[in-house]
Amino acid sequence: MEKIVYSLFLVPWVLALAVFLLPGARFHRLRQLITFLSLPALSFLTYLVWNGHLPLQIETPRWLNLAFTVYDYGLLLYFLYQGIKFRDFLVTVLALFQLFLLTWILLIMPESSVPDFYVDRLSAFMFLIVSTVGTLICIYATKYMEQENLERENRFVAILLWFLGVMNLAVSVNNIEWFFALFETTTLASYILIRFRWDEVSIKNALRALWMNQIGGIAILLGLLFGIKYYSFTHFTQFLSLSGKPAIVMIPLGFLAVSALVKGAQMPFHRWLLGAMVAPTPVSAILHSATMVKIAPYLILRLSPVIKGTLLAKLLIITTGFVFVGAGLLALTQENFKKILAYSTISLLGLMMLTASMGSSMAILASLTLILFHAVVKALLFMEAGVMEKLFKAKYIEDIRRLVERAPITVAFTSIGFMSMTIVPYGIFVSKWMAIEEASNFLSHGAYVGSIIFMATGGVILALLYFKVIGVMTRKRGEFLKFQLEKVPFAYLFSTVPLVLFVIVGSIFIAKLLCLSVNPVVEAVIGTPAPIIAKGLTLITPVSELYGWQIIGAFVLLLIVPILAYFVHFTGTDRVYEYTCGEKLELNIGTYNFFCIQVVEPFVETAAVALFILTLVLGGGLV
Amino acid sequence: MSYWTAFILTLFSPVIGGFIYGLERIVRARMQGRVGPPLLQPFYDFFKLMDKRSIIIHSFHAFMGVMYLIGTWFALFVLLSGGDLLIAIFFHVLSLAFLVVGGFSVRSPYSVIGAMRELLHMVAYEPLYVLSATALYLVTGTFQVSGILHSEHVPLIYLPLLFIAVLFSLPAILKKSPFDTAEAHQEIIGGPEIEYSGKFYEAVYTAKWIEYVYAFFFIFLFAGGNHILGALLIIFAFFFFNLLDNVTARVNFRQMVAFHWYILIPLAVTNLMLIALWRS
Amino acid sequence: MDFKSFRKKSPWILHYNTGSCNGCDIEILACLSPKYDVERFGILNRGNPKQSDILLVTGPVTKRAKERLLRLYFEMPEPKVVVAVGACACSGGVFRHMYNVENGVDKVIPVDVYVPGCAARPEAIIDGLIKALEILKSKGKDLELPSWCKADVKPPVNRAKLLNSCLEEFHGCRRD
Ligand code: SF4
Repeated sequence: MEKIVYSLFLVPWVLALAVFLLPGARFHRLRQLITFLSLPALSFLTYLVWNGHLPLQIETPRWLNLAFTVYDYGLLLYFLYQGIKFRDFLVTVLALFQLFLLTWILLIMPESSVPDFYVDRLSAFMFLIVSTVGTLICIYATKYMEQENLERENRFVAILLWFLGVMNLAVSVNNIEWFFALFETTTLASYILIRFRWDEVSIKNALRALWMNQIGGIAILLGLLFGIKYYSFTHFTQFLSLSGKPAIVMIPLGFLAVSALVKGAQMPFHRWLLGAMVAPTPVSAILHSATMVKIAPYLILRLSPVIKGTLLAKLLIITTGFVFVGAGLLALTQENFKKILAYSTISLLGLMMLTASMGSSMAILASLTLILFHAVVKALLFMEAGVMEKLFKAKYIEDIRRLVERAPITVAFTSIGFMSMTIVPYGIFVSKWMAIEEASNFLSHGAYVGSIIFMATGGVILALLYFKVIGVMTRKRGEFLKFQLEKVPFAYLFSTVPLVLFVIVGSIFIAKLLCLSVNPVVEAVIGTPAPIIAKGLTLITPVSELYGWQIIGAFVLLLIVPILAYFVHFTGTDRVYEYTCGEKLELNIGTYNFFCIQVVEPFVETAAVALFILTLVLGGGLV
Repeated sequence: MSYWTAFILTLFSPVIGGFIYGLERIVRARMQGRVGPPLLQPFYDFFKLMDKRSIIIHSFHAFMGVMYLIGTWFALFVLLSGGDLLIAIFFHVLSLAFLVVGGFSVRSPYSVIGAMRELLHMVAYEPLYVLSATALYLVTGTFQVSGILHSEHVPLIYLPLLFIAVLFSLPAILKKSPFDTAEAHQEIIGGPEIEYSGKFYEAVYTAKWIEYVYAFFFIFLFAGGNHILGALLIIFAFFFFNLLDNVTARVNFRQMVAFHWYILIPLAVTNLMLIALWRS
Repeated sequence: MDFKSFRKKSPWILHYNTGSCNGCDIEILACLSPKYDVERFGILNRGNPKQSDILLVTGPVTKRAKERLLRLYFEMPEPKVVVAVGACACSGGVFRHMYNVENGVDKVIPVDVYVPGCAARPEAIIDGLIKALEILKSKGKDLELPSWCKADVKPPVNRAKLLNSCLEEFHGCRRD
């Protein structure tokens, strides 16, 4: 069993090495094959872990501890070097500060015999996402880079694969110092990936991602430091033993939560994630869906049994809820397709952390469902963004106007992706619904009322955003003369179709999915499973039911019918031109950009900063 | 409510909605000192539209109009069948999605503006409806519509402020003045429905009647198990919103969203929190 | 089922001003006001050609307006009737033989009812509308074309193309 877990980290690294060592155009096919191998290999390993005896605690030899310490220093020194090389003040100073804190921690670090690896179902759940969605993105990346820069393809794909291994490792360590090392390794990975194109903007954005994430790293170190000071705790499992105890010192937890907020790109630290869009699109896909940002909800989920019901949890609810709405609002003003997606990721990450910090079993269930479906959908959407970029040269909303006339498949997939984030029967909706109904049980707490308001308004703002984009895509000049599918390369189809299928099938069988796959994870996180029952397709929650016929009905309306719409022709009827008050005009229809919202951007950010500080100070108990 | 009653009620909802609309036109005319059309006028319109030669922009657009009708019908059935109230609310969003996508799918400035405003309508009233679903849950202890309809409590007594808020946002959901920016007949000539004609406009026209039934049934829920009070509430709401329709001018969409977000939602939240605090 | 009888009960109108002095337009709006209240007959001012049955035209049709008029006319689904309101619309009225007018609506599109008067009185307009309703009831659903337009059309009609070919005939090579 241990070997399986180890191979989950090592297999991607070996594959990455293999890809890296096969440079040049000649080995392109071979590299694709190797990358493809990662999908079955990792999925199989995850399957074994999932069916194995969990939770699993693995003792490690002492030298590994030493190795991690050395690695930590090496990493931080590399950051320092980068800071000096690019003359970036913040990176340098933060790296120095991290070095200082790390040394301090190592000096006072107590001996502990707690196992350093802790693989429970939550970890396995993350493995699942990484090893399916993540590897699909890698396969996609091979084709993408072939069209962009074949010479550096091996490097790129190798980094992506390596990143997957790092992510797998990050979600299975127990030792917080190691977690810090891996946290910073993901930072390093994102730094390298964002910098990948080596132009001025890329380097600037990469450095920004670096220093922002370094702040997260500092928060972890501070959390660890105070954990050692107050409790001599160095492992997550030790913190979990605190749950249920009255009057605990919140400072370490507060810092850990803040590091999650930073990693989850919550405002005001959202700019690093936006900056990631300058890199090739698979980078965004992998950062936004399977890896990197998912550490944030993962961390909150790890801590949620402890912080449940505390002031910290309530402040987290308000902060993340605010980001859910605020990021959605700011997304409305964007014109760049990838930026829109990035803002909506930030927004939905807010929702994930909101539900995670509510901490009851239903809320955790909602959070996990969100993580799962969001990973799939965001990967899908970013891949489609890449397809649009490569095949149709479309980067801005203006460019994707009337795309439906040229690219029915891309438009259909993108619309399914967008709709699945708001509309009725899809998984993300179901989790939002469960979260609202769960929050209604605690209406006497201001934070929960706030969460309902945030969920209601944020959801509808995202709906506005997505329908704006769908509307631009589906505009048409006239009838489809002949229905013709665009030619999408096979690798693109191979990596997107499974995701679409999962979104649809997973949403139809949502009740079964939640009961069989997600509920065990809930049990692992907080000890009790959520009280839901699946009866056929019907999902029965403690307070309500989502009937199977409603799901099916909505799917018939949403999927079958618009696809039918391609083929429905009212042949017998007259065609007419648009009404323009009788004037003969050259129509050039744009779209709303909501520039009026830009006015509130500073306020949103200021409020986010204020909430952030409030979370740290009041929630973390620094007063 | 059993599935069969719900089904029959849904089936006849266009008729009910048509009568409501006919009555509304009479009431509105009387309020303006006119005589107004006969009660059956909407049905005359309906049958006349059957007989028109259809002209369309393109099939996708026309098809979306038909889908709007079907979607609204289905959303009403979800509401009436006694299932979860929140889900019924979100199904309403789904039905609007068809109208919006249809509105966006043509290269007509009015239609595109109208579709965008339709979405802004949704932004305005949707949170309020979600809040009222949770409020009804708080009072009656269930999200199921059938449960609310058989509840001992009368939600209206506990939720007066919320009821006022819903009453004021009724024009937004039915697109009546002062919140009729999406249709705005004098300004964008019907918004998303402008390019429909003949039978396809008929679908959109009928869907709007169904929305009447949807909105008034929502009002009905505020009476809980007391169905007579519910009927009274509907009558009151009907006259109130016609009065509002007649005495107010159209606001622009920013004012509409601002009014909902800064006045009505806080009103609802105040009510919600007071009740929750009182109960706990 | 015969729906023809319902045409009379719910005519929706489109009102277009082709360069009138606004006198007739005000009278038309007076018809909608409480005193005359044509909504009694189910008449609504839709302002949207695609959903209207009656085209109320005022004014002598200036050269600028004629293409617009034609466009609006083609946008209306059959069966439809055209009512020319006011002396200008009937024959050019006080503007007759001016360099910039077409001397009446019937030079451009077929007119079914002429309502005289400068300005036409609301009673006359209502009278004209009632007359128009009779004609509306008897009309078929076939495409109606101006008599000067010789474009050969077979259903289903693409009205954008039809409009263009009609306009070419109308202007010769001159387009405005
Ligand atoms: S008929 Fe007389 S009142 Fe009417 S538009 Fe012509 S000039 Fe004006």
